[in-house]
Amino acid sequence: MLDLIFLSFIGYVLLLGLRRPFLWVLLYVYIDIIAPQRIGYAIIQSIPISFVAFGAAFGGWLLLDRKEGGRFSLRQGLMLALLVYCWWTTGNADFPVEAQTKWEWVWKALFFAIFLPFTLTTRARLEGLALVMVLSIATIVIGTGMKTVLGGGGYENLKFFVNDNSGIYESSTLATVAIALTPMIAWFTRYGTIFKPHWAVTTFAVLLIFACLIVPIGTEARTGLVCIAVLGVLVLRYVKRRVMFIAAGAALGLVALPFLPQSYYERMATIAQPGGDESASTRVAVWGWTLDYASKNPFGGGFDAYRGNSFAYEMPVTEEVGNTTAVEYREVVDEGRAYHSALFELLGEQGYPGLAIWLLLQGLGVWQMERIYRRWRHKQNEEEAWIAPFATSLLLASLVYIVGALFQGIAYQPVMLMIIGLQIGLNTYCKRIDSARDEVARSERGSATTRREAKLSGKRKPPHAVTA
Amino acid sequence: MIDYFALALGHGLLAIALLRLVWRDDLDVDPLLDELKNAEREQRKQASVAARNARRRAAGDDTSPTNGEHS
Repeated sequence: MLDLIFLSFIGYVLLLGLRRPFLWVLLYVYIDIIAPQRIGYAIIQSIPISFVAFGAAFGGWLLLDRKEGGRFSLRQGLMLALLVYCWWTTGNADFPVEAQTKWEWVWKALFFAIFLPFTLTTRARLEGLALVMVLSIATIVIGTGMKTVLGGGGYENLKFFVNDNSGIYESSTLATVAIALTPMIAWFTRYGTIFKPHWAVTTFAVLLIFACLIVPIGTEARTGLVCIAVLGVLVLRYVKRRVMFIAAGAALGLVALPFLPQSYYERMATIAQPGGDESASTRVAVWGWTLDYASKNPFGGGFDAYRGNSFAYEMPVTEEVGNTTAVEYREVVDEGRAYHSALFELLGEQGYPGLAIWLLLQGLGVWQMERIYRRWRHKQNEEEAWIAPFATSLLLASLVYIVGALFQGIAYQPVMLMIIGLQIGLNTYCKRIDSARDEVARSERGSATTRREAKLSGKRKPPHAVTA
Repeated sequence: MIDYFALALGHGLLAIALLRLVWRDDLDVDPLLDELKNAEREQRKQASVAARNARRRAAGDDTSPTNGEHS
């Protein structure tokens, strides 16, 4: 039944795309985020829907789209460089089989992110992509939020549609992405044109933001809490009534308190004591190992190079016997522990060149969005007033993601690569407006000069004909 | 139950959003960029008309028997 519903939805979008092929791009985005082929359990698993959607998206763009205004930007070049570099390291990987497995999804995510900006040629397309991303994440987050509010949840307990702890369905990743998208959800309440500003849109957005913010509570993902704190501080720059904003934040925190299980307090308490939790202790040890590994392998060890690590460290183990609690330090040997940080993931797998490309890619995005915000923030007309807040929402998404990525190996997270695609699309769109305005101004000057010369020629009766 | 509700709500909203997008001409042609392009074309046209007039006037002045220099 579920399979049939998914397939009918996909069929419906494929049909709509016959009129507007751009919708096939959005269909791929939806499939890539929600992964209906992993939620369903019968026919849908045997149909390569992701491949079909990508074929339709790419073919539709290649054969049917206007392709007007598409440009190859520097950041697309950086992603292409990263893609080629990853391909090279995969060929020389320490663990060729595992590296190949990761390469198979990474190249697709990078390739789609490089392709995406070519299709984002109008404001409606930029908004359409943002909306499909938000609604796809919303589909996952609404369920998570409701389960948390109605009881249940807990670290690795909360059930998603897909429970294999991979992709967006990994609790910390979902928390980071959901929080990163909250400024964009807020943007839709004022500047949306597909769902125009309306009390119903605002109500939905407020509830959705609340759901996004309680994802870290429902899943007990500590990184999510750090992301919320960072977002809260960053947003202070943009809000007019700061005191009110802080008060509202505190009120929201109080509202969330009843939903917090005891285990949540215990888990969050380990943020400040990295030594008290194996997951946190391991991170520090793996990061040290990666620095050492990179000094010996500066060009990286290929995907999943972390599998070669092994280290022993002492960790406090608490034991309760009757009324007494004894803390004993025991030696723990860990092998093949993941990076738990995008920076170290890149450093270990792609070496210093890969890390440099990734940092440049992210840094340029932040800089470009900030530049757009400053350039367009005073625009009041409807056609342009949306640009600066949209850039701000993408800027905040990037910053929250970068903070989240410090503690998770999510360097190639497909949703965040789509955000990069959206940033490039917006940057190109703004450049096109600027250059079109320059052209108009140039023509105006040219026309004025011609008129002036024409006038003069009428008075002076020149010996030669005036040329334009 | 919650999962079905979330899936239904998400897909319902996606279906409406995509349906609305299909009927929008500005999905393929951006109104602002189109307006600027038309303005530029208009300016160019005006400039070329003005230039043509100027050329014609200049040419007329050169050949006219009542040209100031000949009279």
